[in-house]
Amino acid sequence: MAVTELPTAGMLPGGPGEGVQVVIAGEELPTQEMTLSIGPQHPSTHGVLRVVLTLDGERIDTATPVIGYMHRAFDKLSEARDYRQIIALSNRHDWLSAFGNELGVALATERLMGIEVPERAQWIRMLMAEWNRVLNHLMFLGSFGLELGAMTPMFYAFREREDIQTLMEMATGARMHFTYCRVGGLKEDLPKGFLQYSEVLVKRIRHRLLDYEGLLLGNEIFKKRTVGIGVLPGEVAKSYGVTGPILHASGVAEDSRKTEPYLKYSEVDFDVPVGNHGDSFDRFNVLFHRIEQSLKIIEQVHAKLPAGPIMPGKMPKYLKPPEGWTYVRTENSLGETGYYLVSRGDTKPWRLKMRTPSFHNVSMIPYLLKGVLLPDLIAVLGSVFFVVGDVDR
Amino acid sequence: MAMTKEERTAKLRELEQKIASKKGIGALYGLVKGMSVTMRTMLKPAITTQYPHVKPDLPERTRGVIALKEENCTVCMLCSRECPDWCIYIDSHKDVMPPKTPGARARTRNVLDRFAIDYALCMYCGICVDVCPFDALFWSPHFEYSTDDLSTLTHEMDTLAKWMDFVPPPPPLEDGAEDPSQEGAAADSATPAAGTTEAAETQAPPAREERHDEEPPQIDQEAYDAAIAQGKPDREARALAKKAWILKRRKAQS
Repeated sequence: MAVTELPTAGMLPGGPGEGVQVVIAGEELPTQEMTLSIGPQHPSTHGVLRVVLTLDGERIDTATPVIGYMHRAFDKLSEARDYRQIIALSNRHDWLSAFGNELGVALATERLMGIEVPERAQWIRMLMAEWNRVLNHLMFLGSFGLELGAMTPMFYAFREREDIQTLMEMATGARMHFTYCRVGGLKEDLPKGFLQYSEVLVKRIRHRLLDYEGLLLGNEIFKKRTVGIGVLPGEVAKSYGVTGPILHASGVAEDSRKTEPYLKYSEVDFDVPVGNHGDSFDRFNVLFHRIEQSLKIIEQVHAKLPAGPIMPGKMPKYLKPPEGWTYVRTENSLGETGYYLVSRGDTKPWRLKMRTPSFHNVSMIPYLLKGVLLPDLIAVLGSVFFVVGDVDR
Repeated sequence: MAMTKEERTAKLRELEQKIASKKGIGALYGLVKGMSVTMRTMLKPAITTQYPHVKPDLPERTRGVIALKEENCTVCMLCSRECPDWCIYIDSHKDVMPPKTPGARARTRNVLDRFAIDYALCMYCGICVDVCPFDALFWSPHFEYSTDDLSTLTHEMDTLAKWMDFVPPPPPLEDGAEDPSQEGAAADSATPAAGTTEAAETQAPPAREERHDEEPPQIDQEAYDAAIAQGKPDREARALAKKAWILKRRKAQS
């Protein structure tokens, strides 16, 4: 289109709006949608998630997450493994909240078999689950900063994670895949010095959280990039089955630790942090405050931990839950993890279906990314906390 | 003391925000604060360790490698069967032991030929250590056996036995923990309570010959003849005769 062909800019008649009328020429130009494939390997996806975007200029038109690169047939595999082996396997689908996963399997099996778990074991399980939650959230706290270009929080987060992992290693013998739960209780009791170190760590991490607050929550650049970006209304979040910190950020305080307490969550005092706007900043803020609440629970466990056994007497060599089914809800680090367990009286489950939070979080991505500018993609994707192993199983 | 410290930090933060919100000084203050953090960190010792030169101090329970106490193994194959990914390879043969008393039946016992763990497959879950009824397997924090060849990760009996040197005693338990050594040692192998290993280790594995200390059963000639007369094969007749002899002895004892 030649310059002379451009529509002439006419003068507006006098008055308050006097001046030159500007016509944007590009609007008539033929534009084309562009398809952009992000991933399967991308630093913001914590695994191999591929997102296929159709772009209208800089604006995202549609976003389709492509999942399944890490499918390991966990549901099917657990039909061929006995209950003890499933506990070891379930550590692995969401590698950032291993204890929460094995806890769910153990709880489901215990409920089916009608096993009464000793008090002390329940308190220790809660302690471990909360430490695991802190571990998980620290990871996302650090990595979200890293994705937005802030390097320091990642190193800080890993410094803290190192301390907690040492603590977990003291009791369980492993740093990631704990395999500490057993059907009926726990593998071993805590070693001497564990509680003391745990108390020290609570104080230390609470103090260091101030650094994160200054670095990220009070950071002008961070705020500019996250406030008002990727807003998720509470109703939409509920319709997608989104749970955990993302749901809380949208203003819905649904937490199975509160609404359907398992272990000893009804006997400890904690809040569910809730956001107001449901944007990326709120999601991050909720995650941050969840760490504080977890530390609060841990402190209460220190004070209330009773003495006693950790296994309910003699257990059968091969566990054979009676015929029946059960569904256990647990609030895992990233949201609600459900276990639907069907037994036909065999040593292996007939069916074990998991409902994992990451799968539902990822299913909500197309909604969240619609109409978002491409540079904001990472700010949105990083705030939808998920682990790809947990999506694909 | 802790309260005052908290209050002090809160006050400091308030002051900070006041300064930071002021135009002009705000940016300068941020810069000064950042540099002061750098200075402070520079003077502190590094939190990273120089790994190959400085070995990490790992807890006793660390699941680094599985060591084998060969003499405790009875080739029951439980570990191999319970392993979720079947990474334990066991070969054995039966050895005939000469009878203890003349005339008694020769006994057979399993002899371990090969015990190998493929650490390329192992998922370090510890089920094999848990199920071992004779405490032949132990966890050790030793971890330096990485190679660049997958096939060399299958470690044989001699290496596994060598790793027994790295097995630490189980750590003492936290206050309020029930000492599992009393009931744990006798507990079912499927539910190994905490720290049973040491308790069971001091007890020798059940001696094989112990049960046969009393006089071995002999053949009751009457019963044998009766069985043969009924047309039973020799092997079965001998078994029946032995049974009759044991019953007779039991009657005589009581």
